[in-house]
Parts: sequence; structure tokens; C-alpha cells
Amino acid sequence: MNATVFLLLAALSAAPLTAAFGAARPSLARPVAILTTAIAFLAALYNAFRPGPAIDKEWAPAWGMRLHLEADGLAVLFALLATGIGLAVIIYSSGYIPLHLHHEHRPEEDQTRFFAFILMFMGAMTGLVMAQDLMLIFLFWDLTAIASYYLIGFDSQKREARVSAFMALIVTGISAVGFLIGALMLDAEFGSFQLPELIASVVPNYESDIALVLILIAALAKSAQVPLHFWLPRAMTAPTPVSAYLHSAAMVAAGVFLIGRFYPLIVLRGWMLDLLLVVGVVSMVAGGLLALTRDNMKQLLAYSTIAQYGYIVTMFGLGGKAGVLGAMFAIIAHGLAKSALFLTAGTVTEATGARELSAVGGLRHSMPLLALASGLAAASLAAIPLTMGFFKDEYFFEAATHHGRLMQVIAVVAAAMTFCYLARFWKGIFGGPILGTVSPVPNVLLAPIVVLGALSLLGGFWPEPFARVASNAGQVSLLSTDELHPAYHLSRTTENIMAALAIGSGVLLFFSRRVWFATVELASDLGEKIGPERAFRAGVLNLNNFSDRIHWIEVRDLRSRVATVLAPAALMVVITLIFTNADSSFELQKPHRDDLTLIMMIGIAAIAGVAAAIPRDHFSMALALSGVGFALSVVFALLRAPDVALVAVLVETLFGVLFFAFLALLPRNVEHADVVPSDEPQELGHHHRVRDSVLAAFGGLLAFLVAWGVLSRPAPVDSVFERYVDLTPAAHGGAIVTVILADFRGLDTMGEITVIGIAFLGIATFIRRRRLR
Amino acid sequence: MTLIVSLAIGVLFAAGSYLLLQHDFIKVVGGTILIAHSVNLFIMVSGLSRGTEPIYPLGDGARVSDPLVQAMVLTAIVISFGVTALLISLIYRVYVSHRSVDIEHLSDFEERLVQLEEQQVPPEPGIGVLEDREVDEDDESDQPDRDGIQRDERATE
Repeated sequence: MNATVFLLLAALSAAPLTAAFGAARPSLARPVAILTTAIAFLAALYNAFRPGPAIDKEWAPAWGMRLHLEADGLAVLFALLATGIGLAVIIYSSGYIPLHLHHEHRPEEDQTRFFAFILMFMGAMTGLVMAQDLMLIFLFWDLTAIASYYLIGFDSQKREARVSAFMALIVTGISAVGFLIGALMLDAEFGSFQLPELIASVVPNYESDIALVLILIAALAKSAQVPLHFWLPRAMTAPTPVSAYLHSAAMVAAGVFLIGRFYPLIVLRGWMLDLLLVVGVVSMVAGGLLALTRDNMKQLLAYSTIAQYGYIVTMFGLGGKAGVLGAMFAIIAHGLAKSALFLTAGTVTEATGARELSAVGGLRHSMPLLALASGLAAASLAAIPLTMGFFKDEYFFEAATHHGRLMQVIAVVAAAMTFCYLARFWKGIFGGPILGTVSPVPNVLLAPIVVLGALSLLGGFWPEPFARVASNAGQVSLLSTDELHPAYHLSRTTENIMAALAIGSGVLLFFSRRVWFATVELASDLGEKIGPERAFRAGVLNLNNFSDRIHWIEVRDLRSRVATVLAPAALMVVITLIFTNADSSFELQKPHRDDLTLIMMIGIAAIAGVAAAIPRDHFSMALALSGVGFALSVVFALLRAPDVALVAVLVETLFGVLFFAFLALLPRNVEHADVVPSDEPQELGHHHRVRDSVLAAFGGLLAFLVAWGVLSRPAPVDSVFERYVDLTPAAHGGAIVTVILADFRGLDTMGEITVIGIAFLGIATFIRRRRLR
Repeated sequence: MTLIVSLAIGVLFAAGSYLLLQHDFIKVVGGTILIAHSVNLFIMVSGLSRGTEPIYPLGDGARVSDPLVQAMVLTAIVISFGVTALLISLIYRVYVSHRSVDIEHLSDFEERLVQLEEQQVPPEPGIGVLEDREVDEDDESDQPDRDGIQRDERATE
């Protein structure tokens, strides 16, 4: 087994293993989850040093789909994030989830579900980043959406959680359909689902533009970029470890991963980069502004994620070595820092019960270690020198400088906002006077944060390994051999000046917050209220009403439902009649004298049919129906079909018995029996008699024309029935019809018997006196 | 001959569709029966040859009636009987629980049930509507059934 296969298997088997062990013994779910994640992380690490060979197997050759997976640089970066941060989050969860379930008064067994789904998330992420086949990408892409649905809605007893999960599923699920359409269009245009082949063969044209824009929309929706960002702050109703994972290494990261994957195709069109730039900048600013004023800790972090991924999307839009490779570096730096901050919020809420910044304070005294670790993470995200995040901003500034003055200004403003809201976050929790009581938290709720914070610091002193992973990933996107070598330059480079400006104005912004806070808060509240979320809600509501109306039409009126089936059928028959070749003229041959009895019996059947339609009482109708049936039996007999005639007589007899027995069970005037008091007058439906007659006559006319047209066609010279006739003696039978039913088409007959059996099971259920359940 | 058979098929079909459009369930079933009859007749006469009964021993050189359509019609007759029987017992069941075999009465009944539910659970604005269904399922389980029990008992008497 090579390294690639091992990584894939380790990541994908984690969820089923955990679910299986957890089902057997709930206490096993946690250790198994940690163990499997650790194995997957080690496998990802191994792949970082020695990438295994690509897996490329036939999958569905007829459709050009292949099981094509490769642990290239891009895959390794995201696999390391998914499994590494996954490991931290799962260790954290092993302490957090039991407490959470306890608060929610839920059984301990539910934690199996949590670990299974979060590991399914990890497996889907790992598969996604390795996949090279568009269909495979789509498969894993949707799997992440499904896993996120269950995780966001983990507290399914809360309405809020269900609504949020639904929203995330709809936004990312519908955009995923766009991805599927894009993939199919690329396949139709360039004849392959394999990304490497596509990169080699795509020549931009109208179709590929549409396809790539659809794929980009899917990516941006997943990365929660404006205007499809609204699901992310909502998704904060999930348990905190889920948020931490969702924001740093899975789900949201999947969006920018996809941009990285398709980057060689995206750069072919300059305007697509501009599109990324615009979306990125808008998200950066909008997310930043909203993050500046949110009081809820997790909401603040959620908007900060939108802003930070806005950074990354902007960097992709700026392009070039600093842009793309820097974006990869930023993904790592952000992943480490953001997961630490989220986990901090979880620990703080666990210790104090508070969810708002205004409700906590002064925790630096009671939790110094946590304050230090999350301070490091916040510093890294705010791009303070000597942390890993400093370099992410340096590359951001470098890319912006290449683009022009305006971009430089935007970059500095965005960085200043980042500094300010992170300072608010950290100071709000750990600074200021002591608020509320602090209960001790287990070490397992601290250790992962400390490790993540330490890594953020380590990246500031020894960025080389992180830079190498980012370079390898960026090379896949850029199709180049560029490398990042982050280092501190103690000189007046443009980037250093911009960084100083950013931090300086960030500090200024932070201390002047009394001045602007109210205005920005008002604007943010307004933005949240009338933002795209409103359109989404209106859309869902209207669709729901529309479906209710359709449902209502169906339930309300059986006849209109019958009409919706019959009317188009009649229309098609009319069209066919009009356009059928006129050669098959209708036959007007004189009837043979021997057929006189036959004609008489057919006539009787027809008259009995009319008689069945006229009477008001059911007995007459049933009698007339029996008349039709028996007359037709005679017709069958005269057509030399003794078997059919016998069966028909038998069935008619049974039918008569059944129908009359049934009528005997009902009161005579059942039609008027009416216990449901009705406001409407009693002659319901009677005024439809003329309309019904006209419709029926029209239907009959069509049936007549079709029958006449078909029967007038000359018989083909040879028919399969002659073979049946010849073969019958070989089947040791004499009655050809019987042999056909029992032998040549025996399978059909078996199906028929099954149908009858099921029908009678249904009947037996219906006529029992007990109430139905 | 063809014309006469086609006419008969048309008449049976017309009578069947007329009954199908009625608001009385029993007549609707009658309509399906008539349409089944007309289709059976149509299949039967569309056989490719007419001659002696398809049963060995066949006379020398005699034309045999098409056995294939006969087999098909035979199957069709049996299946339509099964379906009709199911429909009839279903109507019986509907009558027992609702005391009516009239589509419009039953629709009214259902309409009123829905209204009743809507009064109990006022719809909230927003996506909430999607959620309300979920809540309703629990209430629904007793609502119509309680009616059903009472009616069942009355019918049994």
C-alpha cells in the first residue's frame, strides 16, 4: 500500500470505525476518534515529505469518470490542515462534547454521532483535496455539505440550529449543483473530467467561461464570500468545536481550495481574476465592519472569517507569486489562529457561561495560560511581527503593491480592521475588570489551544516548513516552481511601511472606538437585516408557498388531477392524429356475413357501456358493468379465444359477487349520506353533467379514431406469434395461450401473480374492522 | 368490421371517461372498469390474424388466431380485476371512516382539517414555515384518527 492510498483510507475509515465502535460502546467513540485522526494526520505528514504516487483507476469508463486521486502539494496542505487541526479539534471535543451534552440534557450516546460526523467531514475534506476527477471532486464536495448539515444542526432540539443547518445546506448545496453543471459543461466541451487533462487542453471560450463562473460561484459560496456569506454567522449555532473546524480547515477552506485547484483555468481569463478581486475586497470590508461591532464572541469570529477569506480570495485575484503562494501561506496561518480563537471562545463560554464579550472580562487573572495562547493566535491573525501571520500580511501587501495604490490603501485598511476587532476580542475576554464567576475547566479544553497558539508563534520564528508546504501548494495552482522564503527585512521596504501603518492605524482605530462604534454598529445591523439573507428567506418562503399551492390543488380536486393527466394525453393524441401520414387511410371494408353474431355482441357490449354511465344508482350501474363484461366474454369466445373467454366469465362472476357484496355493505342512498356538514348546497357537481358529457364524448372520439387508424393498418407479414405456435409442442403443451403464459412469458406471469398477491394483501388490510395505523 | 369495433371501443371509452369525471367514487371505479374493457377489446382485435382456436392439434394449413394478444388480454383482465377489487375495498374503507364516498365531501373534510391545524399552530414568518410541518406531524397523528375511531365504532354498530 503506498502513502497516497494509506492517507485516503485512514481519513475515510475514521468515521465508520468511530461509528461502529461507538455503537458497540459509547465510551469507545472518543479514543477511537482521536486515534484514527492521529493516524490520518501522520499519514498526511508522511505525504508531505514523500508524496505517494497518484491513484488512477477506472471508475465508470463509459462516462469518462476515473478514480483519480493525487497527494500533490495543494492536497498535502489542505490534508494537513484537515487532519492536523482536526486532531486538535477532536481532542478538544473529547472534553467539550460530554459537557455540552450534559448542559443540553442529552444522552451521552449522542457523542458518537458527533464524532462520526466530524470525522466524516475530515474524510470528505481529505478525499476532496486529493481528487483530480471532477465527478470525484463533486462527490466529496457534497459529502462535506452533508456532514456540515448534521454538525451545524447537531443541537437538533433547537429550532435555530435546524434553520441554520438548512440554510447552510441550501446555499452550499445549490451552488454545488452549479459546480456539477460546470463540470459537465467542461466535459462536453473538452471531453474529459480529469483536471490535469483539462488544464492541458482548455482553450477559453464561451462555454468554458460559463462553466468556470459556475464553479467559482460554488467555491465562493462555500467560502462564505459576499453575497453568499450569510449562512456562516448563522452556522455559529453549532457546538464550538464544529465552528472551529468549519472555519479553519474544512467547509470554508474547501471553497478557497477549489479556487486553488481551478486556478490554472481561472488565470486564462483576466476578468475572472478581477471578479475574485471584487468579491474578495467586498467580503473583506463587509466582514471586517461587521466583526468590529459584534458583541457575541462567535459572531465576531464568524465575520472575521468572512473577512479573512476575503483576504485570501483577494490574493488569488491579485495573482502572481506573492498573491497565490501568499494565499496558501495565509490559509495555514489563518487556520491555526482561527481554530485557536474559536476554541478559546468555547472554553470561555464553558468556564463562565457567557457568550457575549460584554458579559466577560478580566480572565487574564484566572486563566493566564489561555490568555497567552489565544493572545498569540490573535497576534498572528493580526499580523504582529514575530508571529506567523506577519508573513501572510507581508505577502498580501506585496501583491497589493504590484496592483496599485488603491489596492495598497484597501489592504492597509483591511489589516487595520483585523487588528482592531481582534484586539476587541482579546481585550474583551481577558482585559478589563473581572466580570462574573469562573469555574475551572479541564486541561483538555486548554491544551489544544496552547499547541495551536505555540505553532502560530513558531511560524513567526521558523516559517520555513510552513512556507515550503505553502510553496508546494502554490506551485500546483500557478504551474510554476516559485518558492516562498519568508524572512524579516529590517529596512524600509514598502511592505514593512504598510505593516507599520496597518498596525498603527489599527491601534488608533481600537482606542478611538467610542467615536465610530455607534455609527458602524447601526450600519452593520442594517446590513444584517436587509442583506442577502432577506432575499434568501423570501425565496424559501415563496417556494414553500408555491409548493403548498400545488399540493393544495392536488388535494382539493381529484378531477382536476385526473384532467392534468388526461388533457395532455389527449393533446398528444390529437397532434399525432394530425401529423400522422395519411397513407394509412381508414379502412371501410364491408363486414363479413359470418361476423354477424360478433357484431351483435360488440353492439350489446357498447350499449351496456352507455347504460352503465346513465343511471344514478349504483346497482344499475353494477348490473350494466357486468353486462359489458359478459358481452365481451362472448366476443372473446367468438374471436376464437377460449382461454380468454373462460377467464373473463370467471372474473366477471367474481367481480359481480364482489361489487354487489360491497354495495350491500353501504346504505342504499350512499351518495346522499353525508355526515360531514357542508355549507354548500347539495347539488354539488350536478351542473357539471353537460361539461362531463362533452369531455367524455371528445375522449371517446379520440379513442375511436386511434383504434380505427391502428386497426386499419395492414398486418405485417411475419409475426413472433408464429414462432410461439411452432414452439408450443416443444414445451409439451397443447394450448398455445397457456404455454405462452406459463412458459414463454413465465416471468411476466410471475410478476402478475405478485401484483395480484399485493392487491389482495391490501384488500385484506382495508376490509378488516380494526382501525388503520 | 374494423369500423364497428372501433366505434364500440370509442363508445366504451367515452362512457368510461364520463364516469371517471363523476364525483362519486363508486362511479369513478366503474369508469376505470369500462376503460379497461375498451382497452381489452382493442388489444384483442388488434391481433394479427383470425382463424381457429390456438390449441393443438391444429388443422393442416389452418390459420391460427393470434395467441399473443390473447395471452396479453388474459393478463390484463386478471390484473384489472385485482386493481378494481383493491379500489372497491379502499372505497369501503373510506366510507367506513368518513361516511361518504363523494370526492367533494372528502375534500371539504380535509380542507377543514387543514384549517383546524393552521389555527392550532399559527405559521411564523421566515423559514419557520418549513419547520412547522415537522411540528404538525405529531399533532396530526391523533387529530383525524380520533375522528376515525368514532366513525369506525358507529359503522360497526
